[in-house]
Amino acid sequence: MVTPDLSVSLGGLKVKNPVLSASGTFGYGLEYMPFYDISRLGAVVVKGLSLAPTPGNPPGRIVETAAGMLNAIGLQNIGVERFVGDVVPRLEDVGATFVANIYGKTMEEYEAVALRLSEVPSLGAIEVNASCPNVREGGMAFGATPGGIAALTGRVRRSTGKPLWVKLSPNVTDIAGIARAAEGAGADAVSLINTIVGMAVDHRTRRPQLSNVTGGLSGPAIKPVALRMTWEAAKAIKIPVIGIGGIQSAADALEFLLVGASAVQVGTANFRNPRACVDILEGMEAFFREERIAALADYRGGLRMENSP
Amino acid sequence: MTYNPTRFVTGRIVRNEGRGEIFYRIEATIPEPLRFVPGQFAMVSGWPGNDPLLPRPLAVFRSGGTRGKGKIEFVYKVVGRGTALLSGLHPGETLSITLPLGRGFDLEQAGRTYWLVGGGVGFSSVFPAAALLGRRRNGFEMFLGARTRDHLPPKEWTPGGKAPGRTHFCTEDGTAGYHGRVTDAVLERMRELSPEAASRLTILACGPKEMLKEISTETLKRGIPAQVALENHMACGFGVCWGCVVTLWEGDRTAYRRVCRDGPVFDAREVVW
Repeated sequence: MVTPDLSVSLGGLKVKNPVLSASGTFGYGLEYMPFYDISRLGAVVVKGLSLAPTPGNPPGRIVETAAGMLNAIGLQNIGVERFVGDVVPRLEDVGATFVANIYGKTMEEYEAVALRLSEVPSLGAIEVNASCPNVREGGMAFGATPGGIAALTGRVRRSTGKPLWVKLSPNVTDIAGIARAAEGAGADAVSLINTIVGMAVDHRTRRPQLSNVTGGLSGPAIKPVALRMTWEAAKAIKIPVIGIGGIQSAADALEFLLVGASAVQVGTANFRNPRACVDILEGMEAFFREERIAALADYRGGLRMENSP
Repeated sequence: MTYNPTRFVTGRIVRNEGRGEIFYRIEATIPEPLRFVPGQFAMVSGWPGNDPLLPRPLAVFRSGGTRGKGKIEFVYKVVGRGTALLSGLHPGETLSITLPLGRGFDLEQAGRTYWLVGGGVGFSSVFPAAALLGRRRNGFEMFLGARTRDHLPPKEWTPGGKAPGRTHFCTEDGTAGYHGRVTDAVLERMRELSPEAASRLTILACGPKEMLKEISTETLKRGIPAQVALENHMACGFGVCWGCVVTLWEGDRTAYRRVCRDGPVFDAREVVW
């Protein structure tokens, strides 16, 4: 059988397969080169970039929880200028398709980062972080309401011609409404979910376990929530949905495609298996071959709802 | 410094033995032999399922083997669920290992005498340094501290080498060796040194944070260079998650640096305690 066609268009960015890295878990991509050729991935989504370098939160940034982890890194990053100057040429050298995740303290900052990145011809897309729970100005203020999402998406939309993805927060009541707001304001795709706000305390020391007190929950623990929200968003909008949340295996990734995601991003799994993204990609290819499915499009969104379960 | 590039490998457990229910020593075969710098570490997992999710950082204790058949050893203490599950794995079962990771001890300075200080399970990153110095016939002394004699590493784990250094055992309850904390033993021994001998001294230390802090403070006062191996909770171990940062001095400012990638060994002068 011929190799299955896994290519898909993600709001103007055509990728060769639907396995992407999730921002914040993949550094700037190059850190994974000792483990495999990152140009094999549909795209590398880099750690969130701000206008100026950001120091992040004080130590006490991560804690492991049942089948997951909480983080409150605080968006530590090298800033957009160093990214463009130092990282982009190396990503170009390795031939990776790459997407920049961006955030700002204000609408103006989002706009400025997007403007600067729009000057980078090799950049595949811009993903707007409208959902970081760990810094006051990490986008949650914009991401929590349809009005906020529409305003932010509209501002960035007007400042860039790049494919524009908006990364949504799960910490909302109605994800469908939020997704519709992003679509209405000009997003080319949405990605979801970002981490779920959580907390861990030590019953002996009587202290919170994170310096930031609360953090973002990720890992297999959040997968059912992520899957449900991906399904709801995919039903609500016409632009592509990129599913994220707790994906550890090819089977997990396929479930997101089944409920309507056009692609997936793999996050926390990269921490425990640096080859997680390619392992998932290879597992997905093997599945399509076994099932004699010729193209991703023949499988995607194919959730059978009659006589469920 | 030469060490192999980082890789992600599957290991097969050869031995996984507990000693006095405190320390475990696990040995596994890996595809190729490993060259590592003492103080470097690995991220290790092997228990089934997603809980706990993350691998555990363990100092590389020993490596060996021949081409096409490498061997690796780790020593660990059961401190939580991950290490408890690790201790329950049997020969023949597999480990997922990312290694070697981080910056190890700098043992390349000419004309130095090294004092190695290990507190608790900290001996696991100090012994590889002792083994290397012993092979090179580079003078060193080793100070090992524990709460009781049962908490000291078994004698047969102590590296030999052509020129084994003098080892000072210290216990807080006095059941073996020097009666008191290892830091005090180091300071007492330091007082015996001539100024000339003290000027050649470099201290390498791994152990509880309080011990490292005190070693740093005391050596800084005396102008003796010290390298400390820090620990922290880690998610990835290779620099991408930014979860394991500590605060370091950079000039008169401070910055958050990763234990896994910028360390785990830091110049004691850099660390903000």
